[in-house]
Amino acid sequence: MFKSAIAIIEGVKAALQAIRANAMRSALTCLGIIIGVASVVTVVAVMQGFTKQINEQLSDLSPDVTSIKPYVALEDQMVGKQSKLSYDDFLYLKNKIKQIDVMTANMLSFNFANGAQYQNYIHSAQVIGTDSDYQKLYKTFPEKGRYLRESDDEKRRRVALVGETVIEKLHLPENPVGEYIKLAGKWFHIIGVGETQDSFLGFDQNNYIYIPISTMSTLDGGDRGIITIRYRLKVGADEEIVKRQITKILRQRHKISSGQPDDFQFETAKKAKERTKELTTSITGVTAGIVGISLIVGGIGVMNIMLVSVSERTRVIGTLKALGATPGFIMLQFLVEAVVLSLFGGMIGLAIGYGLSELISLMIPNLSDTHIPTWAVLLSFGFTSAIGIIFGLAPAIKAARLNPIDALRYE
Amino acid sequence: MSKVIQLNEITKHYQMGDQTFKALDGINVDIDENEYVAIIGPSGSGKSTLMNIIGCLDTPTSGEYHLKDKLVEKMSETELAQQRNKSVGFIFQSFNLLPRASALENVMQPLVYRFIPQSERQKQALESLKRVGLEDKIHHLSNQLSGGQRQRVAIARALVTKPHILLGDEPTGNLDSKTTQDIMKLFDELHEEGHTIILVTHEQEIADHCHRVIRLVDGKVVADTRKKTEERLHV
Ligand SMILES: Nc1ncnc2c1ncn2[C@@H]1O[C@H](COP(=O)(O)OP(=O)(O)OP(=O)(O)O)[C@@H](O)[C@H]1O
Ligand SMILES: [Mg+2]
Repeated sequence: MFKSAIAIIEGVKAALQAIRANAMRSALTCLGIIIGVASVVTVVAVMQGFTKQINEQLSDLSPDVTSIKPYVALEDQMVGKQSKLSYDDFLYLKNKIKQIDVMTANMLSFNFANGAQYQNYIHSAQVIGTDSDYQKLYKTFPEKGRYLRESDDEKRRRVALVGETVIEKLHLPENPVGEYIKLAGKWFHIIGVGETQDSFLGFDQNNYIYIPISTMSTLDGGDRGIITIRYRLKVGADEEIVKRQITKILRQRHKISSGQPDDFQFETAKKAKERTKELTTSITGVTAGIVGISLIVGGIGVMNIMLVSVSERTRVIGTLKALGATPGFIMLQFLVEAVVLSLFGGMIGLAIGYGLSELISLMIPNLSDTHIPTWAVLLSFGFTSAIGIIFGLAPAIKAARLNPIDALRYE
Repeated sequence: MSKVIQLNEITKHYQMGDQTFKALDGINVDIDENEYVAIIGPSGSGKSTLMNIIGCLDTPTSGEYHLKDKLVEKMSETELAQQRNKSVGFIFQSFNLLPRASALENVMQPLVYRFIPQSERQKQALESLKRVGLEDKIHHLSNQLSGGQRQRVAIARALVTKPHILLGDEPTGNLDSKTTQDIMKLFDELHEEGHTIILVTHEQEIADHCHRVIRLVDGKVVADTRKKTEERLHV
């Protein structure tokens, strides 16, 4: 134990001396390891930031809410097939399905794509048609004024609930309730300001204008809006039965013959979470691949330079052996040197990775949470040490096996 | 007196193409504890080859070598390394100092393999360097020392482990006569202290110091003379 410690100290000393003497060569040698560690650290740090945000966002999504979205497979889209959940589909389902506690819809319309106008200011906000049940479903409350009411929808009132960003961009007064903004050529009365939300993956979440879906549908003219239906079941209702019921109704209404696929799909928060998890796993997998390859390249670099170093120092090795260094000692010393060299690369890689992830978090606003978890640091160092040991083994054995007298005569 | 070195029919052959060159050709020599031996002979006669074998750096082609009753041929690489560290101190013909290391570090190195703590290593190395009169050059790197100074570092390094057997391959080859005298005085002292000393040399002056002279020619011992006490030279 104590003896190995001395061998390790000697190895570290020799390694630091060799790195100092050939700084440039050492840095180039470590390039593979530097790239490997830098990329893993960057990706992990950024993924940490993303996952954290996605998870926060998804936990905001009520887990008991199911969405119905239009869906057409890509190959069907190419032959011109279109899918549309219509406003009427929504109204029909809302009345028909008894096990549903709340059902609401979001509608996006191209007619409203030009944005909003207030005085001389024009701003392209996301205009969404919904109804009063949106508030019930998400239990959200207005910052100011009131939310959309049932009567707004029934009477197709031209009223709007705006987000914080809209107020700012349109230069509306701090309390905009009572002001009028122009949407799709019509004046809308502002009735409230919605809850402010944190931005998500750098996307502003407060750039919205909610109007009654009935109003939007009328102004849309011809049912060209894109609708997403969301609902929550009554307590005790069977999820699968309701899904089957909805599927049957929608297939009938969309006149889909049996054998043809649905042109809509269900989505739950759970499913969305699974999907993000899949995404992170596959990104992590790809990174692991890159890292694996660059670490192997890096390892070969280390091996190469260690072999050169053993050759260069043949006489020194001979001298050390003549002075009493055992093969084991020489081997340990060169292994340590390989590990120090790899760790040197790992350290540079870590620094670069840290810098890169900081840079990325600067470029993507609100992704301030990029942090390098301790396990990633430990894993990088563990990996680079392992690389050093694995690829340092051959040179170390070569050094340990040198015959002292031949080594001393080496020129 | 007990024998520390027993060489029995030692040969060393080098294969040069289809020719076999006999660098050592049947050496039979025993050396007792605390002997003071000079090995002389013309250049190429096999003196260094023999020294390397005695110093456990090289292995003979055939024959038996007992170092303190242990058969060297039977030793593993690790045991050989331990013998080199414990039993013998070797002063090389070409110094073999560690480059990029100071005189002090060079002298400390053998103690690393004795697993002696750093501070103790430093203390012992310093003593050894003092003995060869180099205490004012301890921080010089090997390439900042003169030939004679390097030679003295090599001697200090061989001495630092206080080995039973001190082997010197032309240990004063690079020294002026004044320094040679100093070094020989040192060898005399070490001999007085009980070390066994074997020196390869060209110089009659050094051979005169020794109590036994072995003469090699073409890998064979042609003369092996022990001087009587009154014939020994004292400085
Ligand atoms: N590795 C080798 N391969 C072939 N021949 C060798 C080898 N090593 C030594 N020899 C030969 O063995 C002979 C003895 O060499 P050695 O070095 O022992 O001579 P020496 O007596 O020490 O000479 P010097 O006084 O010049 O140092 C020489 O002729 C040399 O050429
Ligand atoms: Mg010689």
